[in-house]
Amino acid sequence: MRTFVNWLKTPQWSPYVGGTLLGLLSILALLFTDRLLGASGAFENIGGSILQLITPALADNMYWNFIMPAGFSFGVMMLLGVFLGALVSALLSGTFKWRTISDDQWVQIFGPSRWKRWAALFFGAILLEYGAGIAGGCTSGLAISGGVQLAPAAFLFMAGMFVGGIPTAMILYRKRF
Amino acid sequence: MTALLPALFVGLVFGWILQKSRLTQYSTIVNVFRFTDMSVLKFMLTTIVVGAGGIYLLKDLGLVTLTGTTPTYIVGNLIGGLIFGVGMAWAGF
Repeated sequence: MRTFVNWLKTPQWSPYVGGTLLGLLSILALLFTDRLLGASGAFENIGGSILQLITPALADNMYWNFIMPAGFSFGVMMLLGVFLGALVSALLSGTFKWRTISDDQWVQIFGPSRWKRWAALFFGAILLEYGAGIAGGCTSGLAISGGVQLAPAAFLFMAGMFVGGIPTAMILYRKRF
Repeated sequence: MTALLPALFVGLVFGWILQKSRLTQYSTIVNVFRFTDMSVLKFMLTTIVVGAGGIYLLKDLGLVTLTGTTPTYIVGNLIGGLIFGVGMAWAGF
């Protein structure tokens, strides 16, 4: 028991351990909730709800009524759980820190400008969500949840992800790639 | 609201695993595209191998039904993934 608690508190697990656990979580989630993991869809549910509040007419369409219904969905609740789970994990392992730039590598390459980092987060996130909308899911909702069901879409998505990501990293990092 | 409690629980474990595997870090995400840290790929493919094995076993035993997966739409899946990859390398999510 004590070793188990200590293991829960270690700052880092091997990606193979993490992957195995997430695979098991996917199996249990499908068995007990008939659902699989997802993340990007929840932002669309929340976005739809906000749009309904501001301009109900604009939100009254196929997309937010049927494809990605607005409201407090299963996915939104899961997203809340993801935030809390990661927070507790970081707090217990003692790696939790308040930072305006979340990573040392960013500072080394792109400098300490906070706005530069936040702009990259903002515009990068728009592309992420837009791309996920076109493809039909994100790394969790499509690549992992589709992948565990051997859906061809998941593997096409992952191929596209690297085709987009590698040149972007090359352009951003230039000689330091 | 109580119907959503399993979702909260699944999310908690999901977030915990992501944090422990350093997938919440900018450097882990971007370095897979620089080939300097392949954690993202190791993590995702391990998940798929373990998850697919278990899910198809349970499916053949008649214990689970697959969720309606995302339809195969080659251009959409690829182009969507491509745009997603640009955002991923830029923002580091």
